[in-house]
Amino acid sequence: MPNKPKVAFFDFAGCEGDQLQVANLEERLLDLVSHLEIVRFREIKTIKQDNYDIAFVEGSITRPEDEPRIKEIRSNAKILVALGACATIGGINCLKNFIKESEYKATVYGNFGRWYSTYAARPLSAIVKVDMEIHGCPIDRNEFARAVKELLLGKIYSPPDYPVCVECKMAGNICRYEQGKLCLGIVTRAGCNACCVTEGSVCWGCRGLAPDANMDAAGQIMDEHGFSWLEAQDHLRLYFGYNSRL
Amino acid sequence: MIAYTIYLPQIKGLLKKWALELNIYVPTMVEKGFFEFRPWNDQVEIAWDYDLCYTTLKKFILPPRENIIFFDMKKYSASPVTEAPKQLLFGVHPYDIKAINQLDQLMEMDSPDVNYQARRDNTIIFGLEPVHVAETAFWSSMNASKVDLGYDLYWTRISPGAFFVQVGSARGEEMLKVEGPVEKSNFTQKEAARRAHLKILAEAEKQTLKFDWSRTPELVNKFFNNRTFWREKAKTCLSCGSCNLVCPTCYCFDIQEEADDLLQKGRRYRQWDGCMLRGFAEIAGGHNFRDNAWERYRHRYMRKGKYIFDKLGELGCIGCGRCVKACTAGIANPRKVYNEIWEAIKNEI
Repeated sequence: MPNKPKVAFFDFAGCEGDQLQVANLEERLLDLVSHLEIVRFREIKTIKQDNYDIAFVEGSITRPEDEPRIKEIRSNAKILVALGACATIGGINCLKNFIKESEYKATVYGNFGRWYSTYAARPLSAIVKVDMEIHGCPIDRNEFARAVKELLLGKIYSPPDYPVCVECKMAGNICRYEQGKLCLGIVTRAGCNACCVTEGSVCWGCRGLAPDANMDAAGQIMDEHGFSWLEAQDHLRLYFGYNSRL
Repeated sequence: MIAYTIYLPQIKGLLKKWALELNIYVPTMVEKGFFEFRPWNDQVEIAWDYDLCYTTLKKFILPPRENIIFFDMKKYSASPVTEAPKQLLFGVHPYDIKAINQLDQLMEMDSPDVNYQARRDNTIIFGLEPVHVAETAFWSSMNASKVDLGYDLYWTRISPGAFFVQVGSARGEEMLKVEGPVEKSNFTQKEAARRAHLKILAEAEKQTLKFDWSRTPELVNKFFNNRTFWREKAKTCLSCGSCNLVCPTCYCFDIQEEADDLLQKGRRYRQWDGCMLRGFAEIAGGHNFRDNAWERYRHRYMRKGKYIFDKLGELGCIGCGRCVKACTAGIANPRKVYNEIWEAIKNEI
């Protein structure tokens, strides 16, 4: 890696909320960019260059013509980082994978559906090799900063591999199942400091399945706590759609 | 035994005095049926009759995350950090005191944990005789219904308006007298406290181990190789570590480092870890000593039932029942598992 690695940001199907989180680092961003050079980041600068070392890619692949583009980014970049749920796990875009193509095209584009090409939404890793993943919808900017620092120090950041329950226990939250609520924290990868639960909601699973998530057990537990399969499925598909088991 | 009688109206005055020097934490109801230790102020209603505080009290002495070293990458220097705020835990049940006593011993063994000890030295503990037993608790059969040490004062409510306060340390006695002399307990009050203890003991003994706790190490050891049993039990284990993290005697932690944004300085911190988490026994090169959930599951029962016993002569489980509640899969109940093992092999041993 050169002394001051060149960094570029790209996006596919997504809301660009993850890049917004990066921009939201504000003054911290100034400290971080003292070690790197941003050559492409449309939310904060107009110049666009095509020689870069690290590519941060947001969004999921949803059209056939996305493939050559992501492959080109892959071949230009030394390190490709998937940024946010759409890029790492397919995320919300994968909701459409459970609906008929004609139906979602008509919902989104009305009569002009035939003008647009589309196929099942998928994460970047379905097309190219991804070197590092920063999970979340949106990403946690502190985690982003940490991952960047680790890259600069010559390491690949590895996010926690345990479920959100760990962070709930650290935060002292009362388990949502004890309150009779459906929560995906039991199978979702931690790293967010259980922010949604701490703020009073439940875990929606935006960071994807924990590598060792026991889905059989999760199904049984949801059932034992009185949630129907349909309820559970709706909740699970919100983020875990790119998963052969749903 | 030195003991004093303190009346309910006196307590607020005492708390106000103590609060000048310490952070005070008291049990309070946070949601219907859920109790937690929270910072005291005169608006807080103390839940004298709480059955179990939801999260473990170890967080006050071994916080979930704690800095241990600050380092400088330009100067190649490092300095240790110890934070130890003065605090008072008011209203700790005997089983939780037993857990802290156990941590005290474990953290002193081999190489003493200075961060833990600094916090512990600055922590004053006022015990409280329970009046309700949590439905998941079984501390009476874990030899944890009474403690002889580990508290500065031990409070027993002997009437709606009075507490029998047993002195456990000079520091505790001084604090009691901070507002002037207090009434020495007489024989009747002492007797009332004894009866209060017997009453709660009778309540607690409704749910127990089916055998004497001291046989547990032998039992689990015999069952170590019964893979079918452990696999079957751990089938729905989520490997979420909840049972570890709510356990008042679990003390494992992971150490991590983070650099500052200018990449010049940094900190090393530790955070709670648990043997039920997959990464716990993973080492460099990717090998994992306990790769399967059932191995980790078994390890926890071995740890609580035998390994801690081998170190200290008492079980690593104090029967608070927090893990029973915390486990969404409902498989983390030590009482149930040990009883099942007992049922299976009681005729063989």
